[in-house]
Order: sequence, then structure tokens, then C-alpha cells
Amino acid sequence: MRILHTDVLVIGGGLAGQRAAIGARRRGLEVTIISLVPAKRSHSAAAQGGMQASLGNCRGAQGDNEDLHFADTVRGSDWGADQQVVRMFAHTAPKAIRELAAWGVPWSRVERGEHSITVNGQKQTVSEADAAHGLITSRNFGGTAKWRACYVSDGTGHAMLYTMSNQAIAAGIPVHERMEAVALIHDGERCCGAIVRNLMSGELVAYLARATCIATGGFGRIYRVSTNAIINEGMGAAIALETGRAALGNMEAVQFHPTGIFPAGILVTEGCRGDGGLLLDGAGERFMPGYEPEKAELASRDVVSRRMEEHIAAGHAASSRFGEHLWLDIRLLGEAHINTQLREVQEICQYFLGIDPARELIPVRPAQHYSMGGVRTDPHCHSPTLRGLFAVGEAACWDMHGFNRLGGNSVAETVVAGMIAGEAIADFCASPEGALTVSTTLAEEFHRREANKLAAIAGNSGGESAVELTRLMQETMTANVGIFRHGDKLQQAVNTLRDLLQRSANVGLRSQARGPNPELVAAYRLPRMLKLALCVASGALAREESRGAHYRDDFPRRDDQKWLCRTLARWPGDDAETPQLDYEALDVMGMELPPGWRGYGARDFIEHPDTATRQAQLEQALAAAGELDRHARQQLLMPFLHLLPAGLQARNQRLGDAP
Amino acid sequence: MSEIPTRAVRELTIRVLRCNPAEPEQTPEWQDFRLEEAEAMTLFVALSLLREEQDASLSFDFVCRAGICGSCGMLINGRPGLACRTLTRDLPDTITLAPLPGFELIADLSVNTGKWMRGMSERLETWVHDAGLADHNLAQVEAPMDPALAREIYELERCIECGCCIAACGTAQMRENFVGAVGLNQVARFRLDPRDTREDADYYELVGDEDGVFGCMTLLGCEDLCPKDLPLAAQIAFLRRKMARA
Amino acid sequence: MRPSVNRWPARVDVLQSASGLLLVLFIWGHMFFESSILLGHDAMYLVAKAFEGQPLLSEPHPELVSIAGGTVLMLIALHALLALRKFPATWRQYRELHGHLGRMRHWDSTLWYVQVITGFFLFFLAAAHLSQMMLQPEDIGPYASADRIWSDHYWLLYAPLLLTVHLHAAIGVYRLAMKWGPFSAATTDRWRGRARLLMVSALAFFLCLGTASLVTYMRLGAEHAPYKGERYTPSWERE
Repeated sequence: MRILHTDVLVIGGGLAGQRAAIGARRRGLEVTIISLVPAKRSHSAAAQGGMQASLGNCRGAQGDNEDLHFADTVRGSDWGADQQVVRMFAHTAPKAIRELAAWGVPWSRVERGEHSITVNGQKQTVSEADAAHGLITSRNFGGTAKWRACYVSDGTGHAMLYTMSNQAIAAGIPVHERMEAVALIHDGERCCGAIVRNLMSGELVAYLARATCIATGGFGRIYRVSTNAIINEGMGAAIALETGRAALGNMEAVQFHPTGIFPAGILVTEGCRGDGGLLLDGAGERFMPGYEPEKAELASRDVVSRRMEEHIAAGHAASSRFGEHLWLDIRLLGEAHINTQLREVQEICQYFLGIDPARELIPVRPAQHYSMGGVRTDPHCHSPTLRGLFAVGEAACWDMHGFNRLGGNSVAETVVAGMIAGEAIADFCASPEGALTVSTTLAEEFHRREANKLAAIAGNSGGESAVELTRLMQETMTANVGIFRHGDKLQQAVNTLRDLLQRSANVGLRSQARGPNPELVAAYRLPRMLKLALCVASGALAREESRGAHYRDDFPRRDDQKWLCRTLARWPGDDAETPQLDYEALDVMGMELPPGWRGYGARDFIEHPDTATRQAQLEQALAAAGELDRHARQQLLMPFLHLLPAGLQARNQRLGDAP
Repeated sequence: MSEIPTRAVRELTIRVLRCNPAEPEQTPEWQDFRLEEAEAMTLFVALSLLREEQDASLSFDFVCRAGICGSCGMLINGRPGLACRTLTRDLPDTITLAPLPGFELIADLSVNTGKWMRGMSERLETWVHDAGLADHNLAQVEAPMDPALAREIYELERCIECGCCIAACGTAQMRENFVGAVGLNQVARFRLDPRDTREDADYYELVGDEDGVFGCMTLLGCEDLCPKDLPLAAQIAFLRRKMARA
Repeated sequence: MRPSVNRWPARVDVLQSASGLLLVLFIWGHMFFESSILLGHDAMYLVAKAFEGQPLLSEPHPELVSIAGGTVLMLIALHALLALRKFPATWRQYRELHGHLGRMRHWDSTLWYVQVITGFFLFFLAAAHLSQMMLQPEDIGPYASADRIWSDHYWLLYAPLLLTVHLHAAIGVYRLAMKWGPFSAATTDRWRGRARLLMVSALAFFLCLGTASLVTYMRLGAEHAPYKGERYTPSWERE
């Protein structure tokens, strides 16, 4: 057995993983990244439209600040988020974007003078100030009070990922490409690395590390229709789940993006609507203002997706040979705008649909897009139940998204959480807890266990096919655990998935080829994906309310009284068939923004008994304190700066602030 | 009976160059697969079906399947392209697929572009060189940049390192140390970036030789086959002029 | 410039292009001069004598032609030597390139290959032509040239030389334009289109011009064959 030693093992080479790695490396630690694919091919590259950060440079962003970003994010989450984490995030996002700007991201910039924009289907003229010329500009996105999504045309994630990867290369951080972590090495208390399979040669290697950080992204591929990359199978979250110690938070919170192109499910950015694009039905009529008078197309994604499906169910869909869908209309933005600010969208339409979006409508339908849930961590991105295990980005439930993420907050989270995790990992390694005390016997034991599992699959004579079972899982998830959920269907889904998990033990191989055996890969990933799917479906079945992206026909109201809590799923043991669900209450009495109406979507919800008390308490505290600036006011209501690394605590300067 | 003309469904022959270096006794050989074409079928869909239904050992790389990650470059009827966004309806009945030449073969259609690109990045130091980066004050308002310049940099930043320009380049095929259009474009990109403090003399040290810009023979395969339509010919000509004078 | 830096790759690349450009200018000029025969015997006689320095030095010095021929030959040798760096050097490289060109079916890559092949032939054809000129510089004139071409069968050399040199020169000019041209991303297509147009027009024009003058010399040579060896006397020196 080959053993590699490193201080920090980062599993996943996307934005979050690489930023965490750079942070830890800067603190003098030896860092190794393993990645399923070359780092620059990670799914972070697929983020198109923008990264949320309250810079407030352009006209539409004027007056923006952390407070507004915080409030938008909490409302977007339907109060499911950890508000302290949201504060940490909103405070660090401008720093993240400025760091990336210094590192080389060619952010689109404010251009002084008059510009024509499209709002509500009408052309308007806005004027940009001389003072803002050349600063980072931003565009409108769903669920936000200001234009806050900073962007690089519509290749934001690509530009960010390339800059980040290049900085990681500059820092001399090795990326072991085409490597997959198949198990975390741990003794029940402390995680100390992973068993890693080389996807080219099939070799199993033990990586021993003082700190291990999961940054493997989401698990969209448990669904049939998803905007996610092929590699987004959630293996990082799954191996954390399989430790039995680490918990997965809010797995039932799955986001569906309104504009996946139909039927391929490839994403076209929310920037299309942010820049003024409209949703049209089969009759060519705009329908969103009828459902959502306040925000129309730019309500949060959960709301827009639900309204779209509702409209389709009401018989207003367009139909093609592939089925029913709606239209996205960006023709009104004009060719020049599309060719500069929405280039990737233009290319996707051209290559996959054979249409020119400046002249034709884009067929769209909501598709699975994002996993709000993931490895539960504390505000320092550290698992509270398995020490030495960190998680960042989509793979984590750091919990700034709650039950619905706002567009542009995910790429922002990757970098922000990476910045915080890098420091936290270094602090952990410097603490007495951070010493590596593991015996090689433990690594050998895990190595043997994984090798035996693989050998068992290779030698399995059972007639099940991984392809077939995967397809059944995906169909089940899309049909029964989608946008509209219902107790009966969820129960059915749980039963089916449990059955599939049993059957997955009998998956055999047709090919015994050495090297990169793709069939073997599908076979060993299948049970892990099924376990994630079971966490999603069981969590959804148990949660008898509707919150954010989790919508139950049979319980259509948000129920703060019973369900203002985070679901924690653990896998009790190798033989278990379903996860064990626990709940972690969200403390209304600690909230800066007590639960209320989001400003869009459903207005009725069941109030938490503490909400009124907390509201009164906040008002009282403010009245007692007298005149305060917004920083002092915030500090009074819910202190959070102490949670941030010292280097990230400074106040963000904005245009017009005294230097 | 119905008079509506129905388009006959095509049966495609997909000819794949099979080779698994992990099984040294097998020699590279063409294998034909037959597949019924479907509406809007891409090579991603076709190859996935082949692996699911006909040969579970068929190796290939797809990640984003949306034409943005650069994983699925391969030779499609002899010319490099991104398989995920190539529609079968634009191709003849027989489609030959081969791995991108110029890269280490992993198996079948899967090649190690990642390793090559990492080597290129390390060699050309494709990052912003600025001594002050580590102590940059993140709270401060960012330094302004001309909007047109930002757009220009993004034009070059759009490269997805898919390797098609290397496979399309006669020079790169002959000389394995040639940095290719992907590398020269990177140098042009950082040269354009005012945040990078390097000067032409520094860039000359990186690409001022036969493995760099002076190795390019202007065959323009890169310009014509770049899936992202990057202005590679213009960038290389520009860089050549600058480096000749550096 | 830093002292440690090797400037030679830049110089060599410029030199290869510059020598090529000079040779193209030479051959295109050459075509106009030799085709002066289309304007009549006297015109060609004058051109020939001009190159022997008669207008300046009052009497012809054919050795000037030898010197010019030698210079061109050296330029060709230099150009060829520099171009050789780009040729496949090993069997493996040759195989890779050949396979590549076959698969790609790509116009510009193929054009380069045409240059390699024409360059190879040119090296011999041009050397033969130039050494003949250097050794017998006085044998240029309406009758002398025509005799050489027809009676001495030099058309067998000149016909393939004409084709290869113009293919090589026209493609070379196009490739030079793409290699060094001051075009931008936005103007690439226009620039390239014009460079292609230049390539095709120059090729067509000089092939026509060259063929016409070669055929004229051949016709003259055939007519003059019985008097082979006799030199032309310009009209103004006759009675």
C-alpha cells in the first residue's frame, strides 16, 4: 500500500477547494489537492452570470452594502440560513472579489456616461458617474434589492476558476488529477486523510493528512434533468456520510434553476433575466408579473421555478416533440448586448439548439441546479462531529443558503468560504488538536476495506446493472422529489430508493479491463449516490412544511413553529437502509432578522412563538442605544466579527467613503 | 394511410480508435459501433449510449457537456473539436472518433490534457506577477481598469485549454515542446494585463525561442479550429512582432 | 536587454522572413524584366544591357550579372538553411506531420506543405539556373536567351521553375502577411481574405506573364535556331 503524507488534503479542485488550499499554503502548510478532473475543468467554470458582492459601484448598485446583502440572502433562504454565517459571508464577499481583481480576474467594469438598459420589457437610459468609471460593475439578479452580481461577461466562473487555478500553480500547490477519494480515514473522532483511487490506473493510495477538506461540489446527478456537470455525483458528501460521524445538513433543500434549456438541461444564466429578459408561455405571453407582482421574473429561483411549473400545469406551456416547456425571451436585449454580455448563452443556443437568441426564443424548463445541503460545518467550515474534517462550497452546509440560494451567491460562497477555511485549517493544524496521531494500521485497515469492496464488485455475479439502477434512481428523484413534493410520492421514492440500494449490492461487471474502468466507477459510486438520494428523499418526507425550494403540496405553508430547524442526516452503519434524521433548531432569539415575509412568494406562514419577542427585543435594544451608525447597530443586534479571521475583519471601503 | 412524410431514422456507424495502454497486449484498433440516431443527438449522448448499451469499457471524458470546460476534445472525422456540442445531424453516416494527438493517451478517447496544460502554465508562469499580491489591502476600493481593456483581456481569457489548437497544429504535432497557440495566447493575455508587472524582456525569456513564438509556422490550424473562436492568429502575429523587437 | 538572453531565435525568424521577402521581390521584378521580350527585341536588349551596367559604365560588364546571380544564390541558400529548421527532422516527425495533414484537410496547413515541396525543388532548379547565369553572364539577350531556351532545351528547366517559384513566392507572401501582419482580432478575417486574394492574383498574374514570355522565347528560339550563336543587334545600330 502506498501512503502519501501531507499537512492538508483538499478533495476537489474547484474554486472553494483551491482557495482553501491557497490560504493554508500561505500559512506555510504543505497542501495537496486531489481532483476528479484537471482543476480548470471543475464545475465552478459553469457559473455564468455573476458573483454577489455589495460593492455598490454602478448606478443600479448605488447604496448597496453588507446589510442589504445579508437581508436578501436571509430572505432568499426562507430563514433557513445561519444568520451569523450569512453576516460573515456578506462581510467577506467584497474582499473576495477585490482579491480576485488583484489576482487577475478581468471583471467587467463601469463605463461612464449614458447606457440603455432593459427593465420590465422597456428600454431605459441610465447614466454612470465619472467617479465610478473603471470600477467593478454589477448586474441585476433574482431576489436582490440592488444590482449586486459582479460579472465577467457571462463567463464569470470560468474567469474566476482560471485565475484561482493559476494562483494555486504559482503557489506551487500540486493537484493530483483524476483521483477520487473513496473513503475518509478516521477513528470515529478524528479524520486523518482519505483512501484515494487513481482513475487512470485503478490504484488505491492512502493520503494521510492533518486536516482534510471536502470541496467536491453538489450532487445534481442523482436527478435525471440537471444543469450540473457529469462529475457532480456528490462523492465528497457521500464519503463523509459513510463515516457515520459527519452529518449532512438540509439535504432536502435542492434548488431548481428556472432556465435550463429544454430538453438538455444545460444552464442559461439568470443574467438573462437580470439584464431584462422575460419568460413567455406557449401563447407568447409574459406570465410572471401575474404571479409575482413585486419581482416578476426576478423573484428568487425557488419561486420562479415553482410558478413556471404551475403555469405549465395550468395548460399554458409551449410544446415540442420532447414535451412541454416555456420560453425565455432575450431578443429585446439586442444583438450587441448578447454578443458581449451573454456570449456563452449565445454559443450554447447556437450549438445545442441551432438558434440565434437575438432573433429566436429559447426553450426552457426548470432543472435541478444546486444542492443547498451538504457536509454540516460550524462557522469555521469545520465538522463539529468529526474533527479534522472541513468542508467548503456546495459540498458543505456551512449554511448561508438555508432552503434557497440566491443566484450569484454560490460562486461568492466558494471563494469566501475558501478564504475562511484556509485560515481555519491553518489554525487547526497549529493547535495541539492538529497533530497527526494516526497509526498506519488504521490507514491499512481502510485501504483493505476499500480494496475488498472493489474486488467484491469485480467478482460479483449478480445480474444487476449499474446503468439501469442509476437511471431508475434519477427517474425517481426527478419524478417524486422534484419541485412539487407530496407525502405519498416521497414515501414511494424512499421505498424505491431503499430497494435500489439493496439491488445495488448485486451489481456486476461486464468488463474486467484494467486501467480506467468506467463501468467499475459507475458501480462503486451507485450505492453512495443512492445514500445521498435517500437523505434527500427522507429529509423531504419528514419535513412537513414548505420552505424555500422544499415545497410540499400537502403542507404548503412555511411552519416556523415546528420546522425552523436544520435537518441533520447521518448514516448509522454499513447495513442501514435509511439515514438517521436529527434536527438542529435555529435560535430565533439570536437572529438579527427574525422570520417574516420574504418580499415575494407566499405570504402566509406559521409564526414561531419567539418571533414577536425577538422583534420587540431588537427594537428595544435599538431604542435604548440611541443614534448609531449601521456598523454599530449591526454589532449590537448580532455580533459576528469575532468569528472571522483577523485579516478579514476590516470594514469594506466603498466609493465615496472616506479613505 | 398517413401521407405525412417521416424522416427515415439514420443508423450511424461510429468508428472509435480503441486503445487501453493498461492492457499492453491489446493493440490500437478501430472498432465500429452501430447506433440509431435520435433528434438533437450530440456526440456526448451518442457515446454515453454506446457505453451504457454496447461496451461498458469505452473510455472518454465529459464534464460539463455544455461546451465550456474543455474536457471532451477529440478528433471528429480527423479534425479536433468538442464532442459534447457536436450534433450528429451535422456529420455523415460514418463518424470516426480518435483521441486528440499530442497528448498522453489514457484510454480510447481519453487523453491527459490536464497534465500538458499544467506543464504549460508552470513553464509560461501564467499568473499575474506582482510582488505586492500577498499583502494586498482587501478592504480598499479596487484599482480601476479601463472597461474596454477588461473586455479585451476577457476575449483572451475565454480559452478553455481543451487542446484542440495543439491537435490542430502541425508544429505541435512534430515538436512536443512547442507551447502552441494555447500557451502563446496566455502570454498575450498576461502581457495585456496591467496588473502583471512583467516586461517584454521577461516574456521573451519564456517564448522567445523555437519552442515559443518563433517556432510557430503560421499554419493557422489553431485559428480555424479553436472551439471558442479565439483571435489566435492575431495574437500570435502581435506577439511575434513584439518579441522580435523585445 | 538582459545580457543572458539569446537573441538569435528572434533574429533568425526575422532573417528567414526578410530573405524570403527579398527573394519574392527579386523574382517578381525578374519577371517584369524578362518579359520585356513581349515588348519587342529592343526592349529586352536594353534591359539586359542595363543590368550589365552599360548606361552607367559606358560599356557592358557582364560580371555584374554574375555578382547579382551569386548574391541571389547566397540569399536562397540562407533562406533554405533557415527554413530547414522548420522541416521535419526525423522520421517520427515526418510521420506525425504527414498523418496530421492527411487527417486535417486544412487549407493553410497544406499550403505550408506545398511550400516545403516547392522549396525542395526550387533549391535545385534555381541553383541550376543561377549557376548557368553566373558562368555565362554575357548570354542574356533576345537571341542568346531564346537560343538557350529552345536550342539548348533550357525550357525544360524553366517551365517547372516558373511554376514552383511562383507557387512558393505567392504562398510565401500570404504566409508572411499572416505571420507578421498588423491585423487585430476584429480585422483578421478581412486581412486574411485580402492576403489570400493577393496570393491568388499574384500567382495567376505571374504564371500568365511567365508563360507568355517563355512561349515567346521558345518561338523566337525556334525561328532563330538556324542562326544559333548569333547575337542580337539593336535596331538603332543597324544600317
